[in-house]
Amino acid sequence: MILPKFEYKKARTIEEALEIYSQYNGEAFYLAGGTDLVPLLKHRLFNPKVVIDIKGIEELKTITKKGGNLLVGPNATLYELKGTPEIQEKLPCLFQSLDATSCETLQMRGTIGGNIMQNTRCLQYNKSLEWRTARGFCYKMGGKTCNVVLNAKACYSNYCGDNAPSLMTVDAKARIVGPTGEKTIKVEKLFSGDGKEPFTVKPGEILKGIIIPLKETKGAYEKLTVRGSIDYPLVGVAVTIKDGSAKVGVTGIGPCPRVYELKEVNEKEINNIADKAYEDAKPVLNAVLTPAYRKKMVGVLIKRVFKRIEKGGSR
Amino acid sequence: MKTVKVTINVNNEKIKLQVKPYETLLETLRERLALTGAKEACSLGSCGSCTVLLNGTPVRSCLILTPEVDGASITTIEGLKEDGKLHPLQEAFMEKGAVQCGFCTSGMIMTAKGLLNRNKKPSRAEIIKSISSNICRCTGYKKIVEAVEEASKKMA
Ligand SMILES: Cc1cc2nc3c(=O)[nH]c(=O)nc-3n(C[C@H](O)[C@H](O)[C@H](O)COP(=O)(O)OP(=O)(O)OC[C@H]3O[C@@H](n4cnc5c(N)ncnc54)[C@H](O)[C@@H]3O)c2cc1C
Ligand code: FES
Ligand code: FES
Repeated sequence: MILPKFEYKKARTIEEALEIYSQYNGEAFYLAGGTDLVPLLKHRLFNPKVVIDIKGIEELKTITKKGGNLLVGPNATLYELKGTPEIQEKLPCLFQSLDATSCETLQMRGTIGGNIMQNTRCLQYNKSLEWRTARGFCYKMGGKTCNVVLNAKACYSNYCGDNAPSLMTVDAKARIVGPTGEKTIKVEKLFSGDGKEPFTVKPGEILKGIIIPLKETKGAYEKLTVRGSIDYPLVGVAVTIKDGSAKVGVTGIGPCPRVYELKEVNEKEINNIADKAYEDAKPVLNAVLTPAYRKKMVGVLIKRVFKRIEKGGSR
Repeated sequence: MKTVKVTINVNNEKIKLQVKPYETLLETLRERLALTGAKEACSLGSCGSCTVLLNGTPVRSCLILTPEVDGASITTIEGLKEDGKLHPLQEAFMEKGAVQCGFCTSGMIMTAKGLLNRNKKPSRAEIIKSISSNICRCTGYKKIVEAVEEASKKMA
């Protein structure tokens, strides 16, 4: 499959990347590992004038410990992160979601920044231009309808990142830098809730770092997939328990991951959250399993993950 | 559109090229350098048949732009043999009958080579984990896993 025509620029600093982005009036994409972006470009879902390679920016690569936090550069690969002793020892939920992402070969190329910022997916969207033209363009492609839900008012594409929900359960924050300055926000605030434009990050802004508190936690991650070895989550559930309370992250259904809090960890609370997450989940027929099954599995997986943690948590 | 100058070390040979900015590494290898061992199947990163080593690490070359690898070393299946002798992985694949149609084979071997580069003695579970993301429609994987086990024993 041939890529559409674009220019290639390599940025050495964040400033340079922002500068190139504005030179091209935003008709640009940042490129980290490319494992999410390149397939989208091959399908002509975007036609940028330039692709800006940010892998050469040294300050975006580092993983350091500072003041009880792990500061992770977005260009750290999933495989590097998975091998980080602090994550292995203290953050089992994140370790497991990293391990469950795609496959080893892609983990060695894919970055955590690109993983968080990956586009939402839909059976009717991740398709070739010819296929999509025959079907007619939907909201996410600039059209006026949804090709899955009749008379839908918004886009129902699914956010399928495995690691954002785990990061949410460990209270991670994201540092964003843009032409107008820098800000630090909770990972959940990165998501807009709109499948068409899933992120609150403005065009051209760069995810500069992820701040992960290093507390002792218990946790686990579980995902529903059709293919065991390599597959996006059709539902993903992340659970982290810390100081007697817990957070639950749900991914794979709808345009943004959701997070829930349990003040105490007991059977009643777990059942309540499983019921609530089941109610909130609004899957539609845009993934390879039926909506009813995926919805049901939200509650099932939440209970299953808590049981697994009780038994020691390993996969 | 302006081309991009790159210098890459392919199978221990330094090569200077002018490539399209939107050219994938797989296209460069197959179409410019006639190294057709790496295969294009899905072209979307899902199957692993295009796997080559980038500085010793397996990558899916259909997802990589050639300008990204300027200055890097690439090893393809053509570059595995040493002193005219096949690599133990290649031999084990033949001996164990791990090849049927052969379309997945170079991707399987390069993925396995990447595994052996970082883990000299992988367990069976580690071998399965590593190569299971490469699609083989013929063999059922059993012989492939055996071949990688055999090669890692021979190389130990
Ligand atoms: C076959 C296959 C299976 C996969 N399975 C999974 C899976 O199971 N789970 C999963 O979560 N993902 C999966 N992925 C998606 C992808 O491999 C991962 O999400 C990967 O971590 C993306 O990282 P990247 O560096 O390759 O991103 P890129 O493709 O380089 O970037 C992705 C997006 O993020 C933007 N971006 C990257 N870095 C920054 C930054 N610092 N600031 C602002 N924007 C940025 C890019 O512009 C782009 O829009 C799969 C991909 C493939 C091809
Ligand atoms: S052709 Fe590259 S992964 Fe399938
Ligand atoms: S031998 Fe035919 S696809 Fe693997």
